[in-house]
Amino acid sequence: MTSGMPESEAIERAQQGDGECFEALYSMHKRRVYSLCLRMTGNTAEAEDLTQEAFLQLYRKIATFRGESAFSTWLHRLAVNVVLMHLRKKGLPEVSLQETMEPTEEDGPKKDFGAHDQVLAGSIDRVNLERAIESLPPGYRIIFVLHDVEGYEHNEIAEMMGCSIGNSKSQLHKARMKLRDLLKITRAERAGARK
Amino acid sequence: MRTGEAIAMATKQETKATGIGAVEIPGRDNQMNCADFQRDLPLIIDSGGSEEQEEHLRTCDVCRDLVNDLRYIADQAKLLVPMLEPSPKVWDGIEEKLKLEGLIKPVQARRTP
Repeated sequence: MTSGMPESEAIERAQQGDGECFEALYSMHKRRVYSLCLRMTGNTAEAEDLTQEAFLQLYRKIATFRGESAFSTWLHRLAVNVVLMHLRKKGLPEVSLQETMEPTEEDGPKKDFGAHDQVLAGSIDRVNLERAIESLPPGYRIIFVLHDVEGYEHNEIAEMMGCSIGNSKSQLHKARMKLRDLLKITRAERAGARK
Repeated sequence: MRTGEAIAMATKQETKATGIGAVEIPGRDNQMNCADFQRDLPLIIDSGGSEEQEEHLRTCDVCRDLVNDLRYIADQAKLLVPMLEPSPKVWDGIEEKLKLEGLIKPVQARRTP
């Protein structure tokens, strides 16, 4: 490439059909798009298929990019929509939204009214957190990834998923509570293994 | 029985029956308990709550630890960076499809770095 070419120039040339510049954009953004797909689906094969689909859509739509937002933001939103569309096509209940997307009681976190045990601070590493996210029920995982990992606001999530802002907040809270449970179990298992 | 005394007694009975903790604040009969606080927590954790909710948070160890844990998880999640990259077959598939659709011309044998 194109090596050393500013992203803005690569975008402009890719908009005119330059395949090498499109490949350069792929190289710049593939990790972020793939990570998003992997975290949202929890499945490597699906994540690779969705990464491919997202970049194919990017190629077809790149001429419509007007620079009103950062290119990475625009691409990211496109990738989120590809994943959500895929999950809807699969007919999974987690994207049928509103109350029907709520996992069952046994999937959900427990309320914490009396227990007072050790706090988590300082005890989470990246690997354990990634594993815990992967094991979340899909409905919780999608909201958690969009909000806490990817930084979307509740109003954006509500718009993308066709749910209310309150529903997004509620699902996020349940996801964090469930993660807390999972991370405490992991910590207890690690402590038990050391004994 | 005056209304205030009735509420205080009801709160104590609820605490005893359910194990749900309530913060004891002298002179306040209608205090917030953990169940009330945690019911509203999804709506206030990222934006802050009312004076009464903040007071409960300051004085209740259980709810404070819970909120600290949830905020810690959210903070750690923000630090997760895209570490993995897709296998080379993803780009191969993209390139193949774009060629099939006639959108890009074949490029000399070359692979994405």
